[in-house]
Amino acid sequence: MTIPVSLVINGKTQAFDVGAHHVVADVLRERFGLTGCKVGCDQGVCGACTVLVDGAPVTGCATFMFAVDGREVTTIEGLGLDGALSPVQQAFLAAGAFQCGFCTAGMILSVTALLLRDRDPDEATIRQWLAGNICRCTGYNAIVEAVRRAARQVAEAS
Amino acid sequence: MSAVASTSHEGFAEFRKKVTGGGVYAFDICVDRMLHGKLLRSPHAHARIRSIDLRAALQIPGVVSIITGEDLRDLPDPYYGVGLRDQPVIAMDRVRYAGDVVAAVTAVDEQTAFRATQAIMVDYEPLPALMSVAAALAPGAPLIFEEPTRGGSPVLGAGSGFRIDPAPNVLYEYSFAYGDADHWLGAADQVFTDTFDISRINHYHLEPYVNVAWWSGSRVEMWSCNQDPFVLRADISRIFGMPVNDVRIHTPLIGGGFGGKSYCKMEPLLALMARKAGAPVRLALSMDESLLTLVKHPASLTLTTGLDAHGRLLARRARIDLDGGAYCDASTLVAIKTGFRIGGPYAWKAIDSCARVIRTTTVPSGSFRGFGGTQASWASERQMDMIARRRGEYPLALRRRNLLKVGQPFAPNDSGMDCDLAAGLDQLVAQMPPAARKSGRGMGFAIGIKDAGGTGNHAQAQVRLNQRGDVMVSAAAVDIGQGGPAAMCAIATQALGRPFGSATYAAVDTEHTPPDNGTHVSCATTITGLAVEAAALDARAQLLAFGAARLGCAAADLELEGWSLRHGAELHPLEPMIRSYYGGVGWEFAGRGSFKEPYNPATPMGARNVSWMPCWSGAEVEVDGETGQVAVLRLVVGADAGRALDLGACHGQIEGAAAQAFAQAMFEELRYQGESPANATPLTYRVPRAADMPAAFSSFVAEHGLGAGPGGLKGIGEAGMVGIAAAIANAIEDACGASLTRIPFTPERVLEALDAQSSNICAASK
Repeated sequence: MTIPVSLVINGKTQAFDVGAHHVVADVLRERFGLTGCKVGCDQGVCGACTVLVDGAPVTGCATFMFAVDGREVTTIEGLGLDGALSPVQQAFLAAGAFQCGFCTAGMILSVTALLLRDRDPDEATIRQWLAGNICRCTGYNAIVEAVRRAARQVAEAS
Repeated sequence: MSAVASTSHEGFAEFRKKVTGGGVYAFDICVDRMLHGKLLRSPHAHARIRSIDLRAALQIPGVVSIITGEDLRDLPDPYYGVGLRDQPVIAMDRVRYAGDVVAAVTAVDEQTAFRATQAIMVDYEPLPALMSVAAALAPGAPLIFEEPTRGGSPVLGAGSGFRIDPAPNVLYEYSFAYGDADHWLGAADQVFTDTFDISRINHYHLEPYVNVAWWSGSRVEMWSCNQDPFVLRADISRIFGMPVNDVRIHTPLIGGGFGGKSYCKMEPLLALMARKAGAPVRLALSMDESLLTLVKHPASLTLTTGLDAHGRLLARRARIDLDGGAYCDASTLVAIKTGFRIGGPYAWKAIDSCARVIRTTTVPSGSFRGFGGTQASWASERQMDMIARRRGEYPLALRRRNLLKVGQPFAPNDSGMDCDLAAGLDQLVAQMPPAARKSGRGMGFAIGIKDAGGTGNHAQAQVRLNQRGDVMVSAAAVDIGQGGPAAMCAIATQALGRPFGSATYAAVDTEHTPPDNGTHVSCATTITGLAVEAAALDARAQLLAFGAARLGCAAADLELEGWSLRHGAELHPLEPMIRSYYGGVGWEFAGRGSFKEPYNPATPMGARNVSWMPCWSGAEVEVDGETGQVAVLRLVVGADAGRALDLGACHGQIEGAAAQAFAQAMFEELRYQGESPANATPLTYRVPRAADMPAAFSSFVAEHGLGAGPGGLKGIGEAGMVGIAAAIANAIEDACGASLTRIPFTPERVLEALDAQSSNICAASK
């Protein structure tokens, strides 16, 4: 069974048919080549495949494609403009908030969503918000520092 | 010079890819006509395979081929393992743990391959499971292997000994001794014997095991997540009986490994699948399967330690049992390193240690960040505190009295200590503000240690310098998150006097890349770094010789200044000089470099250890005496980078390792229930999340400048792993008197230890 869907992916409207069992991560990777969306655990636990749906983080491996019909999906490739990094990407780069990089896209998208909701999150808020994103490499300090940097940068820019 | 600014993350193109989604991992590799593999795993811990019926599975549309043990018959050497080779590429007549691979399906897509695995009928004859070291060693226990083990021991030297298959279900035994332990323990003023246990954990790297392979004629090509491309090439070559040059391995970015992706695992099986299918095949394991592929060795360590009347350490005897699981993997090395490192960072008159690897019908144990060092340091540094308390002295005083001094060899004929252990301890203590003395609060310290850089290790490198002064560094150090390529580029550009941003790290491809022994044992910055430095200096010498010939002077009269040559008062821009001579597309000065630590049979490891990796660890805890809950309030961890190329990266390595050690100490564990793991799923196997970390968690990077690498640097990748558990347990005892000797420190164990303590006090007061 296929289902027609129409949605905005990284600012561009896309209309196509999907299988009822197709999940967002597979469609983004295989149909649209958006391989920045990494699949770690494939069970909605690790958060590596996090993408934004209407600005809210969801796990791409555990979300059916038909469920995002009519919505706006943002992946890591959709952040930043004309090759420039978004403030969160820039902050992750400057703070060295990644090692292997496999969780990084999901982490950056989660933080982007956090800063849309709370422009000045305290440390406890940051750490709680990141509960959905596992990083096995860094021990998280550099990531928390990157979130603070990004928050400062967003505050200065506005 | 600001090494930090010059090698910052912003300046390195590969790093930028990691924040834009542009980084390519083996996970992302997709080739034309690519098929997909799925594996069927044994539900039994131990069973004989009577038969496998593939008929139903092969009839499923889209299934291309299936591999079973039958397919190994024409392979000349279908086993792998480090030194000792006992793990078949796929189960042959027997399965030895729940998770052992029994059949491998290749199909048009993963769903079809998965369905086919479920349609395979395996007739098992269950055999008795041996789920613990005690069960495996029990008299009359069935043998997990009936035949003698193939292969031999890794290289060893004076003071070390080994036995292969020394007893039923014992794979390997390593012994290490110097001095007369009997004499010194007999002469000791005090002797203490304690036993310590450490648990089983998994790497939980986020990128699963993933490889893509295909054959063209007699050659096989593979995109691999393996962190040791040349080791993998050698294994596939041996297993298939083909020249190494017919095996080509590409290693893109690796999404975490921590030892789990070292040495050969399922890659030869994939090569076999691709050969039988006659097409490219991608095999991506699920994370559940990663949990069934490799773990860190659980162990039990009994230490007998003697001191003289002044509190000086005299001798230690250690008897160590490592649970190796079903197959060898890197167990030989882990036994060697646990036995060798058991003395910790102290001076001794005598050491007598013996580490055995016992086979059990559980997930194979193997390489995991800091292996051997984690197990040995846990037991050694925990016992140091227990001894100090029994002697009624401050644990740090006992440590300070016995620490190895700078230059003092760790063992006879080995290299000297290449850092100031006491200075590092002072730096640690300075970062642990004395807490308000409060009931239930306490502080603990530990100095974990391991050697680093491997045994007799070698690496080769090439550095190409073009007419514009751009640098291309080619070496086999892979990027597994540690920033290895950035470090190699920093070393090359520092040696050349070029800006960091002028360097590019070439893709790792065994067909073009100069070889090394693998990106593990914290060797890349030191060993491969020395090869890169030599290659850069070679390229520089070629450039100066070229300039000297053009200018009609001696190379020694020339200085490289920016991208010009200075000859006395004259400055000659290089690009026009090179272009005018070579024309065309320009020219590359291609420098070659290498490093080899020579074998030396007079040393215990068979070669001098290249560097030493201490882990200064401090913990402050609060223990709830009612519930046994432990809160780690502060964790400070430090390591010596010798010279930091990128301070941020060093902090990241230390803290990342410490986070893994913290989780192992507090809650993380792969548990068995009966014959199968109870929590081998991503959800139930709990790793730390951001909010799980201690409220105050920090690291420091010592730069003692004594490392063997370029400019005094050395590796630190594993350091953070090896001191944390003991520091936390020592803090728990300081807080409430509960003396813990088993990891993890669950509330039940804390309460049990508190009960034991109060009954001791009652007994003492009677």
